[in-house]
Amino acid sequence: MSTGTLPANPLAEGLDSVRRAPPGVLVVFGASGDLTHRKLLPALERLSRRRLLPAAFAVVGVARTDMSDDSFRDIMADAVPGAGPGWAEIIKNSVYISGDYSDPDTFLKLKARLEELDEALGTESNRTYYLATVPDVFAEVAWALGKVGLNRPEGGGFARLVIEKPFGRDLETARGLDAALHEVFDEDQIYRIDHYLGKETVQNVLALRFANAIFEPLWSRNYIDHVQITVAETIGVEKRGSFYEKAGALRDIVQNHVMQVLSLTLMEPPGSIDAEGIRDEKVKALRSVVIPSVDEVANMSVRAQYDSGWVEGNAVPGYRQEEGVSRSSQTETYVALKLLVDNWRWAGVPIYARTGKRLPKRVTEVALQFKAVPHLAFPKAAATGLNPNALVLRIQPDEGVTLRFGAKVPGQAFMVRDVLMDFSYGAAFLEEPPDAYERLLLDAMVGDPTLFIRSDEVDTAWKIVQPLLDAWASDDPPPVAGYAAGTWGPRQADTLIERDGRRWRTP
Amino acid sequence: MADAVTELPAPERAVAGDPEAPHAVQTWEGRGVGLGEVIAALPELRRQASGRGAGTRTAVMTIVMVIKPDDDPEVVAAPIRALGAHHPCRALVLRPDLDSTPVIDAREFLWQAEPVASGGGHPVFFEELYLHVGGQAASHLSSIVGPFVLADLPVVMWFPDALPDPADPLLRLASALVVDTRVAVDDRGAIAHSYRTLLELANHQPVVDLSWVRLQPWRELLAGLFEPEHIRPFLQCVRSVSVSGKPGPRHILAGWLMAELDLRARELAMSDSKHVEINLEAVCGSEEGVFQVRRDDGTRAVWAKASLSNGMSHSQALPLPDDSLTSALSAAISNLRADRVWERALAAAAALAS
Repeated sequence: MSTGTLPANPLAEGLDSVRRAPPGVLVVFGASGDLTHRKLLPALERLSRRRLLPAAFAVVGVARTDMSDDSFRDIMADAVPGAGPGWAEIIKNSVYISGDYSDPDTFLKLKARLEELDEALGTESNRTYYLATVPDVFAEVAWALGKVGLNRPEGGGFARLVIEKPFGRDLETARGLDAALHEVFDEDQIYRIDHYLGKETVQNVLALRFANAIFEPLWSRNYIDHVQITVAETIGVEKRGSFYEKAGALRDIVQNHVMQVLSLTLMEPPGSIDAEGIRDEKVKALRSVVIPSVDEVANMSVRAQYDSGWVEGNAVPGYRQEEGVSRSSQTETYVALKLLVDNWRWAGVPIYARTGKRLPKRVTEVALQFKAVPHLAFPKAAATGLNPNALVLRIQPDEGVTLRFGAKVPGQAFMVRDVLMDFSYGAAFLEEPPDAYERLLLDAMVGDPTLFIRSDEVDTAWKIVQPLLDAWASDDPPPVAGYAAGTWGPRQADTLIERDGRRWRTP
Repeated sequence: MADAVTELPAPERAVAGDPEAPHAVQTWEGRGVGLGEVIAALPELRRQASGRGAGTRTAVMTIVMVIKPDDDPEVVAAPIRALGAHHPCRALVLRPDLDSTPVIDAREFLWQAEPVASGGGHPVFFEELYLHVGGQAASHLSSIVGPFVLADLPVVMWFPDALPDPADPLLRLASALVVDTRVAVDDRGAIAHSYRTLLELANHQPVVDLSWVRLQPWRELLAGLFEPEHIRPFLQCVRSVSVSGKPGPRHILAGWLMAELDLRARELAMSDSKHVEINLEAVCGSEEGVFQVRRDDGTRAVWAKASLSNGMSHSQALPLPDDSLTSALSAAISNLRADRVWERALAAAAALAS
């Protein structure tokens, strides 16, 4: 799109502090599916409610399900009960194409409808293709778009491809997918979503670190003893047993969410908070993580499965009793890891990460445990309630920051004990933060890739977890431990950290 | 004479029937008291409620509100209180009365609000103070406000129904002023003078006009109609503009269009109507464009439509936020910056009204 001679819009002055999507069409593949109904359409409606979508905008749904335009419009309306008036305007413009992704005719029909929309609405041949499909068809759809020229719109608009994790099942398949996408789309056209990065509080790790002078000097091996990352869920595999059997906690959480949080925590300050500045530093941080050998896996990781137990007052079955799960399954629902980082800032500071299903509490947090004071000037008895300082970034729920430090207990005696200084987002900011999909959809349409994962990030994250996958698939795999649902994981995970003289936090 | 801090036995809901509304957990009252007693009672309110977790203050600003002698502070301050967990702030409601007995009567509340963000969180506690200032002290409010201002946080002064005097020393304590031209400027004949007063105020600190805040959906939608590249050039060939609405809002919108589109007064027509409506016609080469933004009676939404003579058209709609003062105030104090666009609109509107 050429904007060189475009006159300014004087009426937009003072209203332009908010980023808005330019005129265009959002093409959703897998439009009849659950993700579209549950996440994408409600996110779009919220964007329209905030007028972050343009007037010249439409959704084109594509899926195998046979359906008319009107039926798709009904689905759009059903997806958002109580929608604002702007949603009706978008629905009115939206159309549906049914067809198989392997049929070239599907994409010819798509091309014709997009051109019609350009003519009628002025959508300026700007297209965002969202693949809300199973990952198996990512490459097929991308190739078919390229075949009819929809990867390079003729009207000079943009074409962007949005895909969501998983990006492959391992390093090899991830590279295969990447190569297939790059045959049709350039890297700067590909937007890989890890919805964790759309969460405000994940982004706030950047704000906390790089907008404040007081934290960054402490953010290194000089003051930090170790880092703990916890991604805990109370839910089990729900109805996704057969999917989860092929994924497991390592692929489902560690390779993506944990690695994203880890890279934001470890990265060096970027030159600028822009897409390349941030992503370059994230990749550098991930590249500094020591990749274990297959032989080391048993010493630096624990995998486990939940047994039956009690969670939030409810009796729950064990993993192998869940629907769609093999009775002899070896798929892990819990992973604990110890990682080391070889760089100037973090050398010698272990990173302990754990994730699991059916844990006692839903919580995601990063805890920086500081070193103890070099010399305690008080009698030991006066400081029995004192622990080393900790800075905890609470990502969900109750988003905020907690600083643990020692304070004198009021009274004649000089007693010191831990107190918490709490900051809670909900207590300081007006707006309910945008949902992750809302944020990421808008970013993709605006063309801001900062919160999307670059090809080399995906590759580096797979390199870190690949030895675990190899060890677990070997002839002599480390055992799958068990833990009772509603506990913080298996005893072996405690051993993993306790042999270093440390303990897991209780979030 | 001062009362002891009192724990309120049951939640006193700020908004009847709204379980989310903040409720008062502690209160204190003193009649004919010295300012020192009022100041000392504030931390006591928190200390008494520390078992509830009120020891930690969460506050994003101090709001000072100046009301008329016959206003009921509890009623007038309700919009601030309803901001609750959105904008926890220390609210100071001043009721100066030069003609009454020279005493200070005070009442303090500690309010508790539940967090608004999903995922839970801690309750938020914030203070509200009413000060009736009688006698000569009513002319020296700046000396009274100072001790109550939270350090390091913005001080917002809200004048709900009148414009302040630019020479009032109280304004020196303000980081920003909030006014409502729809209420404060209800006399058509005074529009030009009032707008010039506002421009003078805006020379010293940011001024946020709640009326301008309420007009934002119209502005956003009209600006949005010109986002597509092929429509943008129509802005440079506007032939006529009409703005209807109540006096005040329609003047400011007309001023905005005049200033931003560099229109002459004869290209602009104004008329009276219940709801604001903007119609703009433009001719670009051989193409005509009609652009309309309107609110229909009985709806809480604004519609916008662009229609070109070549058949292309697009439309958009926005829901209006609820019509409460709280909603407008919340939007206003989220953005306490000098607004040059509003200032230009005001200057043009003042010229139009002269």
